[in-house]
Amino acid sequence: MKSARTIFENGQHKWIALVRDPEKPDFLIDTNEYLIIDGEEALLCDPGGIEIFPAVFSALCTQFDPRRIRHVFASHQDPDIASSLGLWLEFNPELKCYLSWLWTSFVPHFGGNKETFIPIPDGGMDIMVGGLKLTAVPAHYLHSSGNFHLYDPKAKILFSGDVGAALLPQGGDGLFVEDFNQHIRFAEAFHRRWMGSDMAKRDWCARVSQLDIEMLCPQHGAIYRGDDVRRFIDWFANLEVGVVR
Amino acid sequence: MTSTANDRNAGFELRRIVRINEEIKSVVATAFKINLMAMNAIFLAKRAGQAALGFGVLSNELRRFATDLQGQMSALRQLTYGSTAIVNALVKQARFSRILDRAREQTTGKGRDILDEVVRGHHDVDLEEKRSRLKVVNRRLQQMLADTTQLVELGSVLARSAKIEAAYSGGFSASLTQVSSDFENTISLIQRSLEALNKNHREDQG
Ligand SMILES: [Fe+2]
Ligand SMILES: [Fe+2]
Repeated sequence: MKSARTIFENGQHKWIALVRDPEKPDFLIDTNEYLIIDGEEALLCDPGGIEIFPAVFSALCTQFDPRRIRHVFASHQDPDIASSLGLWLEFNPELKCYLSWLWTSFVPHFGGNKETFIPIPDGGMDIMVGGLKLTAVPAHYLHSSGNFHLYDPKAKILFSGDVGAALLPQGGDGLFVEDFNQHIRFAEAFHRRWMGSDMAKRDWCARVSQLDIEMLCPQHGAIYRGDDVRRFIDWFANLEVGVVR
Repeated sequence: MTSTANDRNAGFELRRIVRINEEIKSVVATAFKINLMAMNAIFLAKRAGQAALGFGVLSNELRRFATDLQGQMSALRQLTYGSTAIVNALVKQARFSRILDRAREQTTGKGRDILDEVVRGHHDVDLEEKRSRLKVVNRRLQQMLADTTQLVELGSVLARSAKIEAAYSGGFSASLTQVSSDFENTISLIQRSLEALNKNHREDQG
């Protein structure tokens, strides 16, 4: 089972990270799911692949009634992001999924119907969870051609999908980045290969530099906090991407 | 039925559909060949004139037989398409059930109640409905195979009659006998295909 770790809490407003499943078979990539709660409502960021649904669901249930999840945010269309969608809809048929307009006719192969998807326009949009206003921030071509991150200005957290992802070695299972220089080695190859556009990368770096971010939460690997957020953005800005090596 | 048993069943159904489709392909190819042969035979009979009137009529019938057979095969293919769709839904559901079962084992309290409800819903209604739809499709498939067998039986009678007519076609007798023997051989190929298909289907059902 995964563990549910509260990474932000302010009254009714919470961020819970569902991370690290020691029983997960190693042929599946490890993912982080994030639940954003405001009072009685919640949104689940990148609900994960179908095979890890049991681990995500059981961990989530220890913290929150899963039937009160109103929305899912899918940063992009990958199977490790959204292939569990059909299962979440099983007990929550009214669930809505925010997703780039580019993918709204592809992801229904994982579940859902015409009513399930709320297309996000290329420029992004605001998303309400309870009384909380979140913003879908464009991150196209990083790595997917229709790609968004989710910013919570109150918590100062940016959910950054595959950006910031690190493929950590066995035993490297800390929730937060502790030593940036050590950590970033496990992120380098991933970003070089997966992130396809240098122009999109520079665009993203400029955009998120305007945001006040205390935590940058990727879908794989550890969370960047405090100064490491800035360090990551600078590192990424200087990295050569779109390279097969 | 457990979800693993369900998977096995689905795999079994899919393999069966593949076998049927392969046979359908070979019958369709053969029916096309019969059609061409019959067209040829019709010209030949015309050239033979009065002496091959009976042979000409039978050649026309054989051509119609080939067309009917092609129609029958496309209906059969439609049916196998229908059962593929159902099997696909069963496979999907089996996978969902398997994962929900695993989630149930790992979850306690309210979460478990939620999953119990979902799992119950799955097993009782949907699954039974899909299985019974599959049964209906399988019965129709069996019926259609029986009809096709009869149709091919008729084709083989036509080929034998053509052979007899050929014997009475004067100077054209030798070439017409050759043509009707070709018919006979080709149709017996189809018969063999159908026998295999029927046998498979019966064993699978049994
Ligand atoms: Fe991805
Ligand atoms: Fe990913």
